[in-house]
Amino acid sequence: MTATDSANEALYPIAVLIDELRNEDVQLRLNSVKKLSTIALALGVERTRTELIPFLTDTIYDEDEVLLTLAEQLGTFIPLVGGDQFAHVLLPPLESLATVEETVVRDKAVESLRKLAASHSPADLEAHFVPLVRRLANGDWFTSRTSACGLFSVCYERVGAAVKQQLRQHFSNLCTDDTPMVRRAAAGKIGELAQVVEPEFVRSELLPMFKQLMADEQDSVRLLAVESAVILARLLGPEDTDKLMMKSLRSAVDDKSWRVRYMVADKLTELQSALGAELTQRYLVEAFQALLKDPEAEVRAVSASKVRDFCVNLEASEAERTNIALNSILPAVKDLAGDANQHVKSALASVVMGLSPLLGKEHTVEQLLPLFLTQLKDECPEVRLNIISNLEAVNSVIGIKQLSMSLLPAIVELAEDSKWRVRLAIIQYMPLLASQLGSQFFDEKLNQLCMGWLVDHVFAIREAAVLNLRKLVEAFGSDWALSTVIPKVAELAVDTNYLHRMVCLFCVTELNSACPPDMVRAHLLPIVLKMASDTVPNVRFKVAQTLQQLAASFDAEVFEQQVKPCLDSLAGDADIDVQFFACEALEAIREKF
Amino acid sequence: MSAAAAGKVDGGPAKDKTDPFRNKNELKASKKAAKRSRGSSHYRPKAPTELTQLPPLKDAATDQQELFVKKLQQCCVVFDFSDPVSDVKSKEIKRTCLNELVEYVTVTRGVLQDATYPEIIRMIACNIFRTLPPSDNPDFDPEEDDPTLEASWPHLQFVYEFFLRVLESPDFQPSVAKKYIDQRFVLQLLELFDSEDPRERDFLKTVLHRIYGKFLGLRAFIRKQINNIFLRFIYQTEQFNGVGELLEILGSIINGFALPLKAEHKQFLVKVLLPLHKAKSLGMFHAQLAYCVVQFLEKDATLTEQVVRGLLKFWPRTVSSKEVMYLGEMEEIMDVMEPGQFEKIMVPLFKQIAKSVSSSHFQVAERALFFWNNEYVTQLIEENNAVIMPILFPSFYRISREHWNQTIVALVYNVLKSFMEMNSKLFDELTNAYKAERQKERKREKDREDLLKKFEHLHIK
Repeated sequence: MTATDSANEALYPIAVLIDELRNEDVQLRLNSVKKLSTIALALGVERTRTELIPFLTDTIYDEDEVLLTLAEQLGTFIPLVGGDQFAHVLLPPLESLATVEETVVRDKAVESLRKLAASHSPADLEAHFVPLVRRLANGDWFTSRTSACGLFSVCYERVGAAVKQQLRQHFSNLCTDDTPMVRRAAAGKIGELAQVVEPEFVRSELLPMFKQLMADEQDSVRLLAVESAVILARLLGPEDTDKLMMKSLRSAVDDKSWRVRYMVADKLTELQSALGAELTQRYLVEAFQALLKDPEAEVRAVSASKVRDFCVNLEASEAERTNIALNSILPAVKDLAGDANQHVKSALASVVMGLSPLLGKEHTVEQLLPLFLTQLKDECPEVRLNIISNLEAVNSVIGIKQLSMSLLPAIVELAEDSKWRVRLAIIQYMPLLASQLGSQFFDEKLNQLCMGWLVDHVFAIREAAVLNLRKLVEAFGSDWALSTVIPKVAELAVDTNYLHRMVCLFCVTELNSACPPDMVRAHLLPIVLKMASDTVPNVRFKVAQTLQQLAASFDAEVFEQQVKPCLDSLAGDADIDVQFFACEALEAIREKF
Repeated sequence: MSAAAAGKVDGGPAKDKTDPFRNKNELKASKKAAKRSRGSSHYRPKAPTELTQLPPLKDAATDQQELFVKKLQQCCVVFDFSDPVSDVKSKEIKRTCLNELVEYVTVTRGVLQDATYPEIIRMIACNIFRTLPPSDNPDFDPEEDDPTLEASWPHLQFVYEFFLRVLESPDFQPSVAKKYIDQRFVLQLLELFDSEDPRERDFLKTVLHRIYGKFLGLRAFIRKQINNIFLRFIYQTEQFNGVGELLEILGSIINGFALPLKAEHKQFLVKVLLPLHKAKSLGMFHAQLAYCVVQFLEKDATLTEQVVRGLLKFWPRTVSSKEVMYLGEMEEIMDVMEPGQFEKIMVPLFKQIAKSVSSSHFQVAERALFFWNNEYVTQLIEENNAVIMPILFPSFYRISREHWNQTIVALVYNVLKSFMEMNSKLFDELTNAYKAERQKERKREKDREDLLKKFEHLHIK
């Protein structure tokens, strides 16, 4: 075969693929677009530049799905068109894609354009990229102007002063655009742009635009401006922020639209770090108090979820921090614990325990414990669950003794909660409680509960209860197992409910790893062997599986005398599944000896 | 085997009443009961002052107008309805006062004097303009769930009623009122269309319609803002409760457009109305939307091709209920289609219809087949049978043998019979060619697959 032949053969499928780009079936066009990089690779950089890219630019009127893939592919195309100096040939198709109606396509095109900008030389930026931004910014339809907003920050830094001035002017026009969608996009990008604009222009040009956006008639514009405010404040530093921005920010805390207030609450900790200690104490503490008492539940909920972070981030001496948390934040928090809205309460419950290390032992006992107790008894299961899952934080401050003394009654009550997720959370907390309370205390108060969970009607609880049992045995030792656990397991083996008998076998499997072999042989193995004649096939094959797992605890002699006869008889069982698992177990154990 | 045996032995643990695996509807029902009792209006009142009852307007002999203004000012006080027991007395005073105001502007002439307009508009603005609360139910399903009703409706209803009576009063002078009912006012009014309460949206619809009718200077602005709301709905939030109401107003606005249509209006059709078909909640406003589209086509038939191609572009791929709506709209469009326009779009259109008829969802297939109950449509098909029959035949022939639903098979069979009567020569040709075509098609598919395999190979190299 000659070289040209093989080259032709290699190009033939490419020709077909290009043909498929025009196929009637969307799926086929999509497949073909996905292989675009391979097509380009086969065509070579020259033909990709002169044929493929113009072809793609001309044929952009496809289904959004195809366009999306195209927009994504083009962002990675630089090596395929011959490197950075040719990056600009990719701009025309992406420019068209940045003007289409569908948001996901547009966003992807902008994302790709942003990637490409980095590969342009300063000269290419001015010759190709900036004109594209200018065209998009002056587009007739709002889609192109919206896309333009995201492109300023990636080209601004590396162009000449005159072009920079033009770019700022264009951006300023977009900030006052007629269409709210465009102003929204500008509000979302103004912070990003500020990061690359010279400080003097940030103050003289971008700040006025920002203030205007913060006072926009549409709340959807204002709320995006709040997001950008964080970046702007960080750039300006506390002193200038106080002088130039604080008025806008404070009006946002008090905005008539809950969406804007929500956004402030959501960005509160970021604002806190941008504003610095002094401004935070002067303004934000008060603002936070107001947000925690907002008339709108949505706002209260997001504020409540910031309680811990806000207090932790307070840059102040420990005494001062405790003072703020105790006197300014805690009163509002106490109100929230009794909020009418369960989302608010649950958001609070997920973070409130985190206040404990900040406040110290004394205040925790005095101020927080009553709060936890109220929340532990809350009618909403999610609130109870969030409190239980975070007991750890309090534990480390006041110690398990004190914690269990005050919370134990509530915990016992929750152990029988009607929501299984709550019961599950309690179970998972048991090993920790057990290891710190000691076996005597445990036997008195909690043992009963742990055994009760073994026969819960929700499988997830039974499963967790079995695992819990193993951890308890690991903590209290095998003697405790012998006296407390094994009798219970033996009891389950003869329960009338077959699901409970299954639990018995699960227990044996788990305990196997926690108990010494002689104990397994003496106490657990007989229980299992007896169950081989169970009436339910599921139990019988579980017996086979369990025996296989116990193999580590017995020797060849025990196997020959006790286990093998049992498995042999199961291998001849009437049920096909029992036969299967019995044979599998026999084989596995035989391999071992 | 074993599972069955297990079932026999034990019926499972006793069913707990508080079973966590309650079904979705049960949960929904309990949630709903809790939600309905809650208010939806969240003002931020600055501790309302207690109202004192003013004397009735009909008893005031001389300074009736002065009392009227006083009453308007009194009604600017807004109450918190989320708490049903607060300010009960003052709320009742305001309610009777509003009621009296409604009656007063309805029956008394000469009430609307230049100086009273600002007071009237201020009272209305104080009461109705507010930021709507977040939806209680983020995955609100308009067909399943009940909307959250506006808690302050006992007052709001009268305020809207009053507003309407003012707008409809023979004394009403737009030239004076336009100072107060301006762009800012209208913008706030439009935002209220997102209200979840259908009663409020209904009032808003009539109010906006009157404003559009009486304030010529605001018309272009209103259209542009509705545009923005729709675009935001389509491309950003997908959430706006009042789309149907706004479309209803637009339906009659479009009806009044002068010919030839301005570019602005055509752009609205292509860039806003057609993409609205993409919305997930299309079912909520499809009837109004289809009406608007058909209105446009009745005005200007040359838009037909753009509209049909637009709909084909957005044609639902997976949601059968939406596809049924699209088919319905397509039939309405065909009903007003001129034969010349029909010829321009029949090929892509009938390719889609062939696909819809082949849908395994029988309602989709059935809706498409109902086209053949429409005399005008069948006439168009018959006139162009040489083009349309070859498009439809392969699918119809296959369905007549393969579709699981007997009704569909019977309907398809009837259509095939009508094809036979229409053009028996072509029908025979198509029948004979069917097998060969199928084989060719299979071969094409196989070739493509082979090629892709080769391609993978190349890719690896």
